[in-house]
Amino acid sequence: MLVPQILANGLLLGGLYACIAVGFSLVWGVTNIINMLHGSFIVVGAYAAFFAYQTLGINPFVTLPVIAALMFGIGYLLQRTVIRRVIGATVLITLTLTFGLNLILENALLVAFKADYRKLNLAHPLGVIDVRDYVDWLDVVVPVDRLVCTLVAVILVVAVYLFLRFTNIGRAVVAVRMDGRAAALMGVEVNHIYAITFGIGAAIAGATGTLLSVIFPISPLMSSSFLGKSFVICVLGGLGSVPGVLVGGLTLGLVESFGAAIVGSEHSLTISFALLLLLMVVRPTGLMGTRAFQ
Amino acid sequence: MKYSTLLLVIACFLALLLVPFGVGNYSVRLATTVFLYAALALSWNLIGGFAGYPSFATSAFFGLGAYVAGIAQHHGVPMAGAWMIGTMACGIFSIGFGAAILRLKGHYFAVASLIVAEVLREIINTSTSLTGGGMGLNIPVFTSNPDLFGRIFYSAMLALMFASLLMTIWVSQSKTGFALRCIQQNEDAANVLGVNTTGYKILAFALSGCIAGTAGAIYGSWVSYIDPSDAFDILISVKPIIMTLLGGPGTILGPIVGAVVFLMFEELVWRNFMTIHKGLLGLIVVGLILFLPTGVLQIRRSNSRAWSQMRAWIAK
Amino acid sequence: MIFKAYLRLATVLVHSAVFVMAGGAYAEAPSIRIGAPLPLTGPLSPEGTKLKQGYDLWVQEVNAAGGISVGTDKRRVELVYYDYESNTPKAVQLAEKLVNDDKVDFMFAPFGSGSTKAASSVAEKYGIPMIASTASSVEVYDQGYKNLFGVFTANDTLTEPIAELVSKKFQNIKKVAILARNDLYPLALAQDFSKSAIKRGLEVVVFEKYAIGALDHASALTQMRAARPDWIIATGYVNDLILIRKQMADISLRAPLITMINGPAYKEFIDAVGPLSENVTSAAWWHPTAKYKGDDVFKSAENYTKLFIAKYSSDPDFTTAGGSLIGVVLQMAIEKAGTVDRAKVREVLASSKFETFFGPIAFSSVGQATSYTPPIFQIRGQKSFVVHPPEIASGELQLK
Repeated sequence: MLVPQILANGLLLGGLYACIAVGFSLVWGVTNIINMLHGSFIVVGAYAAFFAYQTLGINPFVTLPVIAALMFGIGYLLQRTVIRRVIGATVLITLTLTFGLNLILENALLVAFKADYRKLNLAHPLGVIDVRDYVDWLDVVVPVDRLVCTLVAVILVVAVYLFLRFTNIGRAVVAVRMDGRAAALMGVEVNHIYAITFGIGAAIAGATGTLLSVIFPISPLMSSSFLGKSFVICVLGGLGSVPGVLVGGLTLGLVESFGAAIVGSEHSLTISFALLLLLMVVRPTGLMGTRAFQ
Repeated sequence: MKYSTLLLVIACFLALLLVPFGVGNYSVRLATTVFLYAALALSWNLIGGFAGYPSFATSAFFGLGAYVAGIAQHHGVPMAGAWMIGTMACGIFSIGFGAAILRLKGHYFAVASLIVAEVLREIINTSTSLTGGGMGLNIPVFTSNPDLFGRIFYSAMLALMFASLLMTIWVSQSKTGFALRCIQQNEDAANVLGVNTTGYKILAFALSGCIAGTAGAIYGSWVSYIDPSDAFDILISVKPIIMTLLGGPGTILGPIVGAVVFLMFEELVWRNFMTIHKGLLGLIVVGLILFLPTGVLQIRRSNSRAWSQMRAWIAK
Repeated sequence: MIFKAYLRLATVLVHSAVFVMAGGAYAEAPSIRIGAPLPLTGPLSPEGTKLKQGYDLWVQEVNAAGGISVGTDKRRVELVYYDYESNTPKAVQLAEKLVNDDKVDFMFAPFGSGSTKAASSVAEKYGIPMIASTASSVEVYDQGYKNLFGVFTANDTLTEPIAELVSKKFQNIKKVAILARNDLYPLALAQDFSKSAIKRGLEVVVFEKYAIGALDHASALTQMRAARPDWIIATGYVNDLILIRKQMADISLRAPLITMINGPAYKEFIDAVGPLSENVTSAAWWHPTAKYKGDDVFKSAENYTKLFIAKYSSDPDFTTAGGSLIGVVLQMAIEKAGTVDRAKVREVLASSKFETFFGPIAFSSVGQATSYTPPIFQIRGQKSFVVHPPEIASGELQLK
């Protein structure tokens, strides 16, 4: 029976997808900016983790918070200096600006790291959990590193959700999203909040990159693939909605896994895009809808 | 349209037709590329500049036109006929597709238009028996004389650019243009006033799609080999947008000016900075957005504003 | 004071005259210019970079020896590059530019079968010999062109020898599972594998294709696991194969024999998969440990490897070697012809056999090399070595 394994595959993949997309969705939903740099931020995080492990021997799960903090700083600065100038402009202007910035970043990454693919190889591989050892008839094998990464990913997503819901700054972010002027009138420093949001997006992207470096071969050439997935998941789940990202990511993971098993892997991308298109036409606010500002 | 305008346009067309006889093949190719992008920029301007709908579907129609025409030629249809079939296919598709996604606004429309290209690309990638899939499609070449070949396509692209220009002029001065501008300013109000917003939007989208499709068809025959990642490259959607923004969206000559300036820059940068040319291009785009948001053509008007903005930023 | 000025002027004039005369006396013959479009940016940039390394190493070595001997002269080599951004139509345009504007004498093809086929029309149009480093698909050579020469043998030379070796040596290998990237070369290769296996009575139990840019192969691999294959074959590019190998381990998909083409030839594959690379087999058109000896500027595969590591601090592979090889072949052809006349060099290319550090190179009537068997190699202890053909091998093929 293949279904249980494919289900497991899809869920694990979906958790990772959710993590890839959450930073992107947050920035888009709150600041109305489509951040084309998102994929490259993930790659930066991955490289940082890779080199930290290779040269300093530090485990990626340890470097994760450090990298996240660094990326937060970079994101905050970038927003405060450059991107701020186009807040409120049309989607075209903001998208073109981040597109241009991404060209610069991608080129820099290519020059710095070359296009070679690298993957972090843990000296002590985490191995697999063979469910057949516990339950005879369940033909499922779960790779531990993916499992851990997916769990961390879900924790990050939940952390963002809790942050938005229960901290002061988080509430300010939501307020700014709902009504920027009203928030300003209430004493919220809107520019600062926008920058914080962008910083958080970058931080999570960096953290995701760290997790992915253990699982995927990474190269600057991957940034557009990550960005593409983020788009799809955001639309599936609904912009700016954190639970939506989880739903979107899991849905995409499951659709791709089962789609590949049913019609063949070469069609899996076509299926996801076609599904997306259908959704956009029928329900553009995504599976969760924009009511979910949390 | 004024008679004098029409005559001027035709005169320019004829003058440019004669240029290839005086320059080398590479320059002819370069010019053909400029005309190609100018036509794409003009096509985008109709839906993006006039109506204000940020479409990223240019590459979808471009690729579709290239493949439909390419497959037709593969089966023996003569080149010009194949181009017409490609254009018609794009027309039909853009009407159908436009009806579906033009209901969406702003970001959602942009994303939906982006996704069309992805879907089409994947469909073509997997329909290997028809399109060659990832292995690409070879399109028969009708002459092996390099000079003649270069000039024919130069003329074809030039003609396309001028046709797009004439269409832009016509739209701009007609009721359609007026309606599109209303839609851009305030679509709900336009609706209330009885403007058939859906109809005009679809018209603009369809015109845009047809031009992009014809450009793709000509392109396919010109390069004689297409594959899905080339034909549906996202840059084919993005570059015309940047060019139009550079030249001035919603204007008539803006897209052409933008295309010329952008491609000049790109060629200069590519020739001289092999490893960092993409990054420098990015720098140009960023500079453009930050300092010239209304485009080159309006630089005199917003000049003082742009300059004072720049001074203020530098002073920080 | 005026006298001083005149004296100074005279000195300068005399120096200049001497300089000019001296320069005139040592005036060199014009350099031989070779046009080379390269994908330095875009998805093919890893391969483009490798190709450029190969070209540059050859140029360095040949110019250090004074240049290519043309009759009694020695002429230096000058390579003219442009970046075609991994975009095939741009590669064709640049080929035209190199011929028309830069007026190159000969051409190196762009990377891969697709762009080589497209660019070869330009070479044929202008009658310029073009040597291709990395075009293996037979379709590249089916246009009846006379000016295209490719140094990689056809795809089935990668599949036939290993199928033969496996079926002879290991009778218990019966079921084959194939996973192919849905792209020109990897798919063609996979189909050739399928043919080679079936020809020898093996059963292809799974044949799956994956999309270009796929980030997950778990479903296909799960289906493979259910079929319990003895021999797993995967084709694609290095990033695909790294991921596939990892995901195979993720779901405990095992088989006695695993073959992957095109990743294991690159060190980055071994680095990225680490211990999972153990016993993985592959084939490639050249291998650094292949025991070839040649009459060319590099003399042997071993020497080539040494020079490459000295210049780049990294190992060479079949792509870099292919780049250097086309320079070597062109050089040997020019030297044998005694002239840089394009027609004469083309004739020499078409009719000669060249003994090189890459093996013996001779071209068929359609221009593709048919003169050597690509080495099959296996990875053990994170190092790879050749297991076949026996003349250049340093080890035996093992199952897990």
